[in-house]
Amino acid sequence: MKILFEIIENLRMAFQSTIASPLRSFLASLGVMVGISIVILMGWLLDGLDNSFQKTFEIIGADMIYVDKWDWTGGKGWKYYRNRKNITLEQAIRLRESHKSAELVVPNFNQWGKSATYDKETIEGISVVGAPSDNQFTPAGDLIDGRYYSEFEDKQGALVVVIGFNINKALFPNGGAVGKSIKIGNRKYEIIGVVRKRGTFIFDFIDNQVFIPLNSFIKIYGKRVRSVNIGIKAGSEEKLNLVRDETIGLMRSIRNVNPNEENDFAINETKVFEESIASIRNIIWISGIGLTMLSFVVGIIGIMNIMFVSVTERTKEIGIRKSMGAKKRSIWSQFLFESSALTFGGALISIAVCSGIIYIAKISVIKFFPDMADVAEFFPPYLSPKLVIIASFVSIVLGVLAGLIPAIRASNLDPVNALRSE
Amino acid sequence: MSDKISDKIVIDIEHISKVYEMGNQQVYALRDVTIKIHENEYVALMGPSGSGKSTLMNILGCLDTPTDGKYFFKDDNVSEMTDNDLAEIRNREIGFVFQTFNLLPRANALKNVELPLVYSGMSPTKREELAEQTLVNVGLADRMDHKPNELSGGQRQRVAIARALVTNPAIILADEPTGNLDSKTGDEIMALFGNLWKNGNTIILVTHEEEIAQHAKRIIRLRDGLIESDVENPNFKI
Repeated sequence: MKILFEIIENLRMAFQSTIASPLRSFLASLGVMVGISIVILMGWLLDGLDNSFQKTFEIIGADMIYVDKWDWTGGKGWKYYRNRKNITLEQAIRLRESHKSAELVVPNFNQWGKSATYDKETIEGISVVGAPSDNQFTPAGDLIDGRYYSEFEDKQGALVVVIGFNINKALFPNGGAVGKSIKIGNRKYEIIGVVRKRGTFIFDFIDNQVFIPLNSFIKIYGKRVRSVNIGIKAGSEEKLNLVRDETIGLMRSIRNVNPNEENDFAINETKVFEESIASIRNIIWISGIGLTMLSFVVGIIGIMNIMFVSVTERTKEIGIRKSMGAKKRSIWSQFLFESSALTFGGALISIAVCSGIIYIAKISVIKFFPDMADVAEFFPPYLSPKLVIIASFVSIVLGVLAGLIPAIRASNLDPVNALRSE
Repeated sequence: MSDKISDKIVIDIEHISKVYEMGNQQVYALRDVTIKIHENEYVALMGPSGSGKSTLMNILGCLDTPTDGKYFFKDDNVSEMTDNDLAEIRNREIGFVFQTFNLLPRANALKNVELPLVYSGMSPTKREELAEQTLVNVGLADRMDHKPNELSGGQRQRVAIARALVTNPAIILADEPTGNLDSKTGDEIMALFGNLWKNGNTIILVTHEEEIAQHAKRIIRLRDGLIESDVENPNFKI
């Protein structure tokens, strides 16, 4: 109880002396404010990055593996992958038939650079994907309208199509796409479904896809000179390793890869993005931490300086308090509370200012740069409670660090000498 | 009201000395001083500057410790206490009144009087109640919200006296309490001390002014760190 009363008293005094000279307090905590603002904004950026990462996971599917001629990382150069032998449909079907651990193996073909026309509207740069009907169980099968084609329609090679979000938006801005006919190339297809918006700035093209039955695709575009892309659904992230190992083993044997040769196919999965996003994170962290540390050092020196001045100015007061029975603890805690009040006050200002900055930034990006609206969507319009708590905690730690030496000096003052000072 | 001195000894210092090191010279501020002060005594500590009276006051007030000798406050051996124990004794047992008042400039009269109670750990409401009552007792009922710079010298010293009294200490240690006041106000303050003594308080007055010392019942004179005389004041009148 005694301690509690003293803490309340210390808080009151700290608050009073901080607002007694507002300009001085403000200037003293400027360095800390800058540092804390950097921490907050950095945390906010990382939050946004994490959100976009999460979204990428959803698009690709965290439990999906894609076997392809091409490696998503492009690590060995375009020519290296071009010279690989195509993955044929027959190989893909053999994989599908002999795979034991995977939930689903879905081969598909791709034809780039097509256009789709409805009425007088045309959208360029779409890609036509030919896949069997069980493609609907992959992340590409999440529909907002209509249905996916059936196995029967696939066998028949029916001219039905499931369109991506961007095509729906461009050709049917008022909705009602399902049941209409669109022209892709020279053929007319009946729209039977619309895929949910999946892409972001990371995978914008993904919403420019249309899906048609595999057999329809083969009939129209042929299968000879194409390499198949095989989507494999593990069913859960835990099974990924098992499914990957089996896939590699089966593919090597199907494609007759000698034991001493490298794989002649690529295994693509979300891990690739995990790595590249981790490196972006690290860059933000390292540059941010450098700046933060710098401004914290400057900030601590500023606060420490003002606290030394404060101790000197109030030597007499310290003497009075000691003669009235203040113990050392009372004196140093008074000064620690004061330095922490300065930094905590600074943190509150930083939080308020940064909240304003991110809100305005988000609003104005969406308003003035509509192309970037996708990116802006990932960044929350407010600071997460986690960030506010971190900023407050860090500020108090800084206050204690900055106030420690002045506070100890104050508490060690000799009462007789302190009373004598003017 | 007491004509007879109580048997209870509050301050008992035995053969204390205080030595300061000045370069490689030793300077004796006090040499072999022995004093006993009983409850409800009214003592003036006199002497010219350099006589050691300030040093003695600091030791009596537990702001400083002697180099040699023993100091018992009531039954506690103060000469062997830690800084924190001394702070507790100051808080509980000693009320200081200074020549320059030594009030906190940013706090009003009430907050100044509450200060010692903060360090004794009293609750804010009890603190305020007690401080208000004490200010009323020294005649400042209508000045509680005023800051020191809004008060006259006499009023400031009354606030300081209220602050000294509020913990109900064993002794009141007043260091030249009228030194910064005009003679009329000084007389009023001395009258207040007289009343406190009559109400049972133990008062030690440190002064170099003969006239002020004459208010006390017992006068101890110091010179060159030694006790020159320690006598009942023949001119004492209530």
